[in-house]
Order: sequence, then C-alpha cells, then structure tokens
Amino acid sequence: MKHILHTLLFAFTFVIAPVAHATVLDIEEVTSEGGITAWLVQDDSVPVIAMDFGFKGAGAAQDPQGKQGLARMLSNTMDEGAGSLNGQEFQEALREKAISLGFSASRDNFTGSLKTLTKNKARAFELAELALTKPRFDKEAVDRMREANISRIKSSLAGPDWKAARLINDRAFEDHAYALNSGGTLSSLQDITSKDLQKFHGRVIGKNNLHVAVAGDISAEELAVALDQIFGDLPDVEIEEPADHDITNQGSTYHFADDIPQTVIEMMQPGISRDDPDFQKAQVMNFILGSSGFGSRLTKEIRENRGLTYGIYSYFYNLDHLNGLSVSTSTANANVPEMLTLIKAEFEKIKAEPISDKELQDAKSYLIGSLPLSLTSTDKIAGLMNSIQLDGLPKDYLDTRNAEIEATTVEDIQAISQKILDPDAFVTVLVGKAEGWEENGLETTTIKKLPNVE
Amino acid sequence: MKHTTALKALSVLALFIAMPHGTATAQSIEAERAATPEPTEERGQKVFNAETFTLDNGLEVVVIPNDRAPVLTHMVWYKVGAADEPIGTSGIAHYLEHMLFKGSKQVGGRELAPGEFSEIIRSMGGNDNAFTSQDYTAYFQSVPSEHLETVMRMEAGRMMEFVVPRDAFESERQVILEERRQRTDNDPRGQFGEQMAAAAYVNHPYSIPVIGWKHEMEVLSYEDAKGFFDKWYAPNNAILVVSGDVTPAEVFEKAIDIYGKIPKKDVPERDRTESPELNSRTLVTLDHPAIRQSVVQTLFRAPSARQSIKDARALEVLEEIMSGGPSSRLYQSLVTQQKIASGAGLSYRSTAWNDGSVYVYATPLAGQTLRGVHEALMEELRTLIKDGVTDKELQNAKNTMRDKAIYARDSLTGPAMIMGLGLSTGESIENIEYWPDEISDVTAADIQRVAKTYLNPDEFGPHPPVSGYLLPQGEKSGEE
Repeated sequence: MKHILHTLLFAFTFVIAPVAHATVLDIEEVTSEGGITAWLVQDDSVPVIAMDFGFKGAGAAQDPQGKQGLARMLSNTMDEGAGSLNGQEFQEALREKAISLGFSASRDNFTGSLKTLTKNKARAFELAELALTKPRFDKEAVDRMREANISRIKSSLAGPDWKAARLINDRAFEDHAYALNSGGTLSSLQDITSKDLQKFHGRVIGKNNLHVAVAGDISAEELAVALDQIFGDLPDVEIEEPADHDITNQGSTYHFADDIPQTVIEMMQPGISRDDPDFQKAQVMNFILGSSGFGSRLTKEIRENRGLTYGIYSYFYNLDHLNGLSVSTSTANANVPEMLTLIKAEFEKIKAEPISDKELQDAKSYLIGSLPLSLTSTDKIAGLMNSIQLDGLPKDYLDTRNAEIEATTVEDIQAISQKILDPDAFVTVLVGKAEGWEENGLETTTIKKLPNVE
Repeated sequence: MKHTTALKALSVLALFIAMPHGTATAQSIEAERAATPEPTEERGQKVFNAETFTLDNGLEVVVIPNDRAPVLTHMVWYKVGAADEPIGTSGIAHYLEHMLFKGSKQVGGRELAPGEFSEIIRSMGGNDNAFTSQDYTAYFQSVPSEHLETVMRMEAGRMMEFVVPRDAFESERQVILEERRQRTDNDPRGQFGEQMAAAAYVNHPYSIPVIGWKHEMEVLSYEDAKGFFDKWYAPNNAILVVSGDVTPAEVFEKAIDIYGKIPKKDVPERDRTESPELNSRTLVTLDHPAIRQSVVQTLFRAPSARQSIKDARALEVLEEIMSGGPSSRLYQSLVTQQKIASGAGLSYRSTAWNDGSVYVYATPLAGQTLRGVHEALMEELRTLIKDGVTDKELQNAKNTMRDKAIYARDSLTGPAMIMGLGLSTGESIENIEYWPDEISDVTAADIQRVAKTYLNPDEFGPHPPVSGYLLPQGEKSGEE
C-alpha cells in the first residue's frame, strides 16, 4: 500500500531541506533468465499492473521513402490479429478480460502499453506476446486500418491547428525524415501492404532495442518470468539512425491562407540538447517564460493583460536528432503582427533583465513540488519510467533533475536565456486570413499547397 | 484510433478556464466512468468508499481517501451552469468562471489580486483549473497534501463574495471571444455541433452553447457576472470533493472551520424553459469547403440518471454492447462486415440535470452516401428493438464494465471528477458507490425497453430525433 508513498514523502522532505540519497521513485531493476531487463515499481494499492515498453529508434523516422505512415500503420495493426486469432477475435479476447493493449509510433520510437487487472495477468501477457511476435497483418485488418487513417486525415483537414503542424514540420525540418507526416498521407497509405508491415516489423522490433517499465501489483520474480515469455522470442535488430538536424529556414515567416476568423501560429527556433549540462536550467527558464497554465510571462502579458488569446505557451521540442524551442498560440487575424512583436519582446526581456528571486523560487517549487502529481496512477508511473529509459537517462534521473533545478540561480537563467533564445531565428507558420498584415510590417511567404497530406 | 469518434470531437461538454494539460476532461472522465470491486457476483461493495458530511450552511462535503502519493485534489462543484443563465446573457456562467481567477477573498487572509490565485497554487507545486458546463461549474486544485488548509481558505474565499475589479472585466471578454473562435468559429465541426443541439433542444437552454452566442458575449456586463454569482454561488448550492492523501476527519474539521464561515443564501430552484411537443424530424445539413470527411449522426433525447436511474443504467449497458470497442455491434456491422464506414458508435450521456442524450454516429467511407450509412445505423437500432440483446452479450458487457471499473480507482483526480459530476447532476452517492450492482441488475428486457422507448427511428415521442449530415461542399448526401 505504501511503497510509493514512502519514497514520495522523502522527495518532499527533499524540497524543503535537501537530503542526501533521497529518491523520488524507488525503481528496482529486474533481469530475466533470458537477459531482458525491466524497471519495476511495485505497488499493490490497486489490483492493476501497467507495463510500458518501447523499441528505441523504431518510430516514424524509419518510414521508407514513399511509405509515410508505415510505423503508424504497424501500431494500428499489431493488435488486429495474431497467432490463431483474427482481428475480431483478438479484440474480443482483450475486451473479455478488460485488458488494454495498444501500440503507438512517435517520430523516434515505437511503443506499447499493456494494462491489466492482476487476476487477468496471465491472459494479458499471452496476448501481448502474440501481438509482438506473431502479428498476422491480415489484408482485411490492414485495409480497415488504412481506411481509418485516411478518414482521420480527412477529418483533421477541418482544423487549422493540424494544418499548421504539417507546415511547421515541413519548413523547420526540411529534407529530414522528421519533416514527413508520421500519420501518413492520403496517397502513401494506399501503398502500404501487409508485406511492408511484416518487413518493417522484422526490421525494427527487436530485443536489443527494447526498454520495459512496469508498475503495480506484481513481484520481481513473476515479472522476470513474464519478460522472457513476452519478449524472449524477439530477434536482435540493426537500426540505421537518421542524421542530426539543425532547424531549417530560420527567420522565415510562412502564410497558408485559410478563411477563418482566428490565425493559428506555430513558431520554432533552435533549442538545447538533453545532453547539455544546462538542460534543466533551460527548463526552469522556459517555465518562467512560457509554460502552459497561468503565471508564465507570455500568458500574463498576452492573455491576461491584453486578452489577445485563449492560450499561449512555449516548450522545448526534443527528438533524438533535433532540438527545438516552440511557441504555439492563436489570435484574431488582425492581431497577428502585434502578437509576434509581443512574443519577441518577451524573449528579449528575459535575456536583458535578470528575473526576480521570487520568480525563480516559484519556478523551482513548482517543478520539483509537482513531480508527485505525475505519479498518481499505475500507468502514469510506468509511462514516465519508460520515457526516461527511451531518452537514455539513468534510473536516478528524477533525483538528479531535482538537484539541478534546485541549484539554478538568477544568473544561470540570464546566461541560458542569452545562449538559447533568438527570436530572429524563428521559423514562423501562420494559418489564417491576412488582415492588414503587410501594412503593419509583417512580410510572409505564401504557401499554396499543404505538404505531406495528399 | 479505432475508437475515434467524430462525435466526441463535436460535443463539447465543458469548457476549461485554461487549456487542460494532464487533467482529464469531463469527456474522458465519462468514458472511464465505471468502477467496482472484483469478484463478479460479490454485491454490496462500494467503489470509492467515500465519506460524506453536510455543514450547517448546507455545503455537502465528500472525501475519498487515497494515500498512494502525498497529494490531493480539492474541488468545489456549484450546481449551476450555462443552462441557468437569464435569457439573452448566454456565456455568462463561463465568463464568470474566468472572472473568478481575477481577484477573490481568502478566509483568514488578504484579498488576492488578478492572477494571484493560480500563481500561489503553482508556487506550491500544484495545478489548478476550472470548467463550466450546462449544469455545473467546478473549480479545482491538485496540490501536495500539506497545503489542504491553504487551498480551502482560498477556495472558500472565492465562494464568499464577488470582488473582481471592474477593470479586469473587459480584457477577459477578448479572451472568451478568442476561446469561441478557437473552438467554434475556426472549425465547421464546432458550428455543426452547436446547430445539432439547437435543433434537438428547442426552447430548452441546452439549445444554447455553453461558451455563448457571439453577439450576446459581446454585450455581457460586469453586473451580469456579479448578479449570476450573487444568485447561485452559495455553500448550500455547492459540493466540496477532496480526494487523495487525507483523512475524512481532518477534511471535515477544516471544512467546518473554513467553509463554515460562509453564510447560507436563498438559492432559487432551477427554473428552466421546456421544449414543447414537436412532431417533425429534423435534418441538420452543413456542407462546407473545409470538410473533407463527412459525418452522419442522430441525436435522441433520453433520460438522465437524475430523471430515471433505472433507464440510465440500462442505456449504459446498451452503450457498451453497441459501442464498447472494435468487437461491439456497430463497429462490427458497419466497419468490419458491411465496410461502409471507417468508424461507428453510440454515445450516451447520463450526467445531465434535464434530458440526457444518445448520439449514434458513423464516418462513411468514400463512395458511400450519408443517406445510405444513416439507414444502416438506423437498421441496427431496429434490430436491437426487435430482437433485443443476447444473454452472452449482456453478460460480457456487465463483466467488462465491472472489471473496467476497478481501473477508476487507479487515479487521484478521476474519482473526484466522477463524484462531482454525478452529485452535481442529481445522482445520489449510493448510485455512484453501488454502480456495479446497479449495472448487474440490468436485464435484457430493460435494454430492449429503453431502446424501443428512446432510440426508435420510426416511432417517437414528443421529442423527435435530430439527424445531422456534415459533408464536403457540393457533395451529395443521397437525400432526394
């Protein structure tokens, strides 16, 4: 009942008065006989087990030329029939036992998520093993998922946010695999066959790029056996990594005309690498500058003081081969030039003037103190651990993170702002209707056709 | 992916003060709304083991202890929403909710300046937000549990008196207008959803969007907001729900001490205009240049849990059988077998003060007419009405619902959301705690009866179903 609680209480003492060896999350490393390792946080407060697993480097960036959406399609079809069960039977087997099993493909990684009641764990492990090692890719299921994806793309086209995302990726990641549409295009999806899926599965789903995180009602011994059962038959794979990418088209502003009253704005400039020793300092800086929710400088100035938007936030966008800093917002068409000027001014201000001690203290309290709110359910804990693993970070990452945040000074924030923030380097994408933009000094390059959609 | 429901994107149940991140929305909460103890036939077990207490001033306090992390969620639900707005002031309930972040009192502390409420919560390592729907307005904070008393003093202060400075009012109007643009004016799917509701709830306030009609939002006044607050915000019209690492005793004690200071008010009964008896089926059609994927849906009015708990539970099981994932009836029929749609489902909402709703919907594949897919959906309802459900379907659905229910406890904020949502729309605490037993009691005959009474495409009562076609400009719907 109290496993997690105890360690979390520790974390709290830590906030107030740093204590050596305090751990936020007490992670046990479990290794199976077959040599598969998993991170485990045991907790029997609810009879639930959550297992998140990820295949490093197996994401959409591996989609071959002309087959955008292949990793996504793989994630849609692996739970649509495996072993002797066809799609319908497999889904019925999950439903019968209230087991949730799903896959998803990010740009870098391919991940899976399994959640079961303790009483149904044997069946859950069996179905996960089947999906991972014996997916069928029946034509019926592949066609059905293809249609679902085509329908999703067509539906998304009604929303300007989705269009802006296509454009910023295309412009900021030009000539890189990251520029493509991980969800596929209307034509590329037509070309994806069962054979493609089979091949891709064999190429990227391996034992040697696997990371497993488990939380909930299961012992280390039981988990060790389950690991061999579920993942033991996977082969080793060789993954060719994409090249590192610098943000392209810096300083350019693009406009896609859309007959709507409000313009969606997406901006990106270079960010900071996860490996940079100043990474956590940069997080503190961004919290003050543009974190979502109330209280950031961008929200205060642009939403609360001026009423120009319902939402504005900035965030670091880190992929394995790319480091960006983004700003997302929207405003009535006529306000766009003013909005862009205000964002730039906030960037310049935090570079020019030291932040207040209170701002720094509040940011630290939030970033450290709110961590337990990310650890309130079995699946949240497993998910957080798995993303730490996939980012190549160590088991004690949350502890070192907290210590680094705690050690950040006012001077650090100014130094890191000056090092990173460069509003002139923004690639900016505007989806909306130009209203007096030119008169107000805003020059844009027009984009006529959405990239990576048709 | 498979559970993509075009409908869910269309129906906005609640609007948040800020874009929620990491917090469950009312929609997802409803989706996970389920809970139960294990062995299937074990009855009489509570889902959340909540404890309750009512203060002298009428404030209902509900505590759901959960000590797995040293954090808590503190929520106040007011039993008032957009459907209680005076005619011509649409959007004021939601505008007021925004205003209450722009200055408030504190019990035993100084007055808070605009924006300060959320800043204090953040400096504690906490998150806060608020949301407004047709029937309720809720404010919440998730914080380390040592701050229980502080958040209580702040939230109770907000309940005490409307003290928002006048000059904070105007700039926030621009924010809600931007919010409306973002949700509705920028997206034809939002506009379509508004018109479906307007057609289905003729002369009832559910026909008016929570965010408000633009022309009325533009003229809302400070006095409108203050008047709405003074009329409805009172301890005897609110529910306090605290979940997390707390004991019921300490919450009750602190609530008496802090919320107990707020005097009772004379809060009026909810007085809502009603829909007249209608005799025409309505078809709402929007063909729009931004639409590439068409959608067909039919909205039936059906009892909410407050109106009939028995019918509501039967409709919930019916929903699981018709729409509980890819192996359910509608998906199997329209998507897997007939191959005329990429998605199909049925969604029932029980949490309403007046009528609940059932949406039946599908996204047709290219080459299919909306009319044809609509007919296929209606045919499934006819089959259900004629033949009912099988014993196996019923048993499977119940087992799944009871099993899924255990997951509901695996959350900090989820249980508080479920509790607040149910209580503020007229369910009793027993209905929520013994939900698994109520689900077990549903019979095949109940399901067939509610299907026949409320989901009949051919014979309908005083509120005929409303169908909607959303389609690309110039495309034929197949209607003559």
